[in-house]
Amino acid sequence: MKKCKIFIISIFVLLFALSLSAKDYKASLFGVKSDGVTLNTGSIQYAIDYISENGGGRLVFYVGRYLTGSFYLKSNVTIQLEEGAVLVAFHSIYDYFEVNGTNGLILADSVENIGISGKGVVEGNSSAVLKSIDEQIEKGNLEKTAKQAKPVLANFNDCGNVTIEGVILQDACGDVQVFSGCKNVQVNSVTVKSTSVLESKGIVFSNCTGFAVNDSYFETLGEELSSKGTSKNVSVSGSVNSKGKKLKASK
Amino acid sequence: MNKMKLLITVVAAVFVFHASAKDYFVSDFGAKADGTTLNTRTIQSAINFISEKGGGRLIFQVGNYVTGSIYLKSNVTLHLEPGATILGSTNPFDYVIDPTTKWCSMIFAVKQENIGITGKGTINGRGFITANNLVEYIHRGIYEDELKLDRPREWKRPQNINFRECTNIVITGITLRDPASWNQTYDQCKNLYVDGITVDSKSYWNNDGIDIVDCDGVVVKNSYFDAADDVICFKSHDANSICQNVVVENCVGRSSANGVKFGTVSRGGFRNFKIKNITIFDTFRSAITFAAVDGGLVENIEVDSVRSINTGNVIFLRIGDRWSKGKKPSMKNIRISNVYAEVPITKPDAGYNYEGPVEDNPRNISPASIVGLPDYRIQDVKLKNIEIVYPGAGNPLYAYRGITSAELDSIPEMRKRYPEFSQWKELPAWGFYVRHADGIEFENVKLVAEEKDYRPSIVIDDVKGATFNDVEFVEPGSEGKDQIIQNRSANVVIE
Repeated sequence: MKKCKIFIISIFVLLFALSLSAKDYKASLFGVKSDGVTLNTGSIQYAIDYISENGGGRLVFYVGRYLTGSFYLKSNVTIQLEEGAVLVAFHSIYDYFEVNGTNGLILADSVENIGISGKGVVEGNSSAVLKSIDEQIEKGNLEKTAKQAKPVLANFNDCGNVTIEGVILQDACGDVQVFSGCKNVQVNSVTVKSTSVLESKGIVFSNCTGFAVNDSYFETLGEELSSKGTSKNVSVSGSVNSKGKKLKASK
Repeated sequence: MNKMKLLITVVAAVFVFHASAKDYFVSDFGAKADGTTLNTRTIQSAINFISEKGGGRLIFQVGNYVTGSIYLKSNVTLHLEPGATILGSTNPFDYVIDPTTKWCSMIFAVKQENIGITGKGTINGRGFITANNLVEYIHRGIYEDELKLDRPREWKRPQNINFRECTNIVITGITLRDPASWNQTYDQCKNLYVDGITVDSKSYWNNDGIDIVDCDGVVVKNSYFDAADDVICFKSHDANSICQNVVVENCVGRSSANGVKFGTVSRGGFRNFKIKNITIFDTFRSAITFAAVDGGLVENIEVDSVRSINTGNVIFLRIGDRWSKGKKPSMKNIRISNVYAEVPITKPDAGYNYEGPVEDNPRNISPASIVGLPDYRIQDVKLKNIEIVYPGAGNPLYAYRGITSAELDSIPEMRKRYPEFSQWKELPAWGFYVRHADGIEFENVKLVAEEKDYRPSIVIDDVKGATFNDVEFVEPGSEGKDQIIQNRSANVVIE
């Protein structure tokens, strides 16, 4: 009887924990605008910080175009992009921040249980961002080396339990996804289309432990999967490039 | 006052230095003047770039530049050409609360030097929308605030300008409009030069015109203020600091609070001020309020040439004991001369946005007052060449305060009360009420009541040493009325 009680209580505790982690917040709650004109960086960052501080959950974007500059994912927060929701990268290079030396639109540094999921799109807006970089270099306002700092779509450093699921990642200015020193990364059923920039790679990962890519499609001008340094427990399955080539863990 | 001339010269020299720096256009950094693009990061990157390159002016040409919080850096001046407007984002989440100043603002500067904002352009905080957006987020439960008085606390609402611990600041020519909180704060700064600015700001609660806190070396001149809260406000937040060596000259102001104010926060104090050629109109409270209520001092203050038209009260000097924490408040050596004032019988700021609060105060029109405490006395106040026109018409059936010793003694001290000329409700005089003060001089003072008032013109209570030289009273039907009433006072000379 006692065992049964403990069992029931633990079920409830588990359910409670699950409900906490699964709480959904609509982006409009935080004043995020879907008009494709309003720069939402401040609101999105406030929303992520708020959700993380309040036990975690998903920040849900419904159909629409959401303009943003760099923001940081925090622990226990997932960006949920419903079908038709497009997270659009802002054109100005000055709206990007870096983690670990690489500029990125969606950044995460030393946090855990984070993700990007849904059937929506992360749009890198590469031609506009590249134009901004070129103009600013030409005017002498940026160092030439800034070219090397072209923003990637997602740059996660030293994170645990990262899930990228279902989304379409397109038109990156730099590489599409960068994972460094992360533990337990799952990239599932993702569509990567980034064909504007010659060297744009699909995924660059280094020094990760537990890294899996499943059922994903890669159409990139650079390498689809690029491993730097050493990573452990890397698995790639059911994933192809645009020519139908089955992808494997490269090293 | 040669010191003051020297101060103006030094501060003007800073201004000349600024004018010689290199120019950069914000549009060259990709900022958009379309009134919709949020330029925060672009403007910030331009400021950083100019500061790193040795300094210069960041020029905004005609157009509307939207931004959230930005930080001005050393040797950078924002220059707004005619028709250029920096618009505050209406999204509260585009602003930060600075960890040093603990306030929210659009333009910050912390521990920088040789900085400025110049030109004929405008900074418009659009604070009404931003503040109400914040209220909405508080009600949704995603932003924490107690909503005291059903408004977000003032430090959580963006100001237009918030500078702290900066040296050599030049603010000239610009128009400041509609922040969600105070317009501009300069806190613990040295050498602040403000010339020819316009403040038009009745957009939300606490829209002060300018707040100068614990600064040393300040010139404010040739400026116009129309503000929902205090016009030109000096404060002392730090008990170990002081606001000193200040010139205010040729300014015009309108307010639903006070004109020139010292306080309310007055921990360290205020010393060596010259305030000259000031016009205050349509103002709800006092044209001049000097408050020492938090343990600070008020010392060596010269006020010369004031017009106060349609303003609820003219002069209010007050020592209180609110947040003194053992420090002894003091006020001495105040000279006020060449004042012409008209006090209305109706509400002076009626019809303006964010009118001053109607008080539950049955009182007839209040006199100018100089009120210390029995243990902290106001010392050496000289009033010379003063004319104040009051409506008179004090009706004892509406509110009554008699002039017997017992009645005068019964006026409460209100040591801890927020200082306001109306705090005692009915006072026993229609012209001047002076209490707990030593060394008071009236010279060539004319007090006019347009209608008969039941009260005398002047009441002095617990005053040690007072001279009334050439004091004239005009009040219809007042033949034989004793216009100067004394209580517990000594060494009073009436010439």
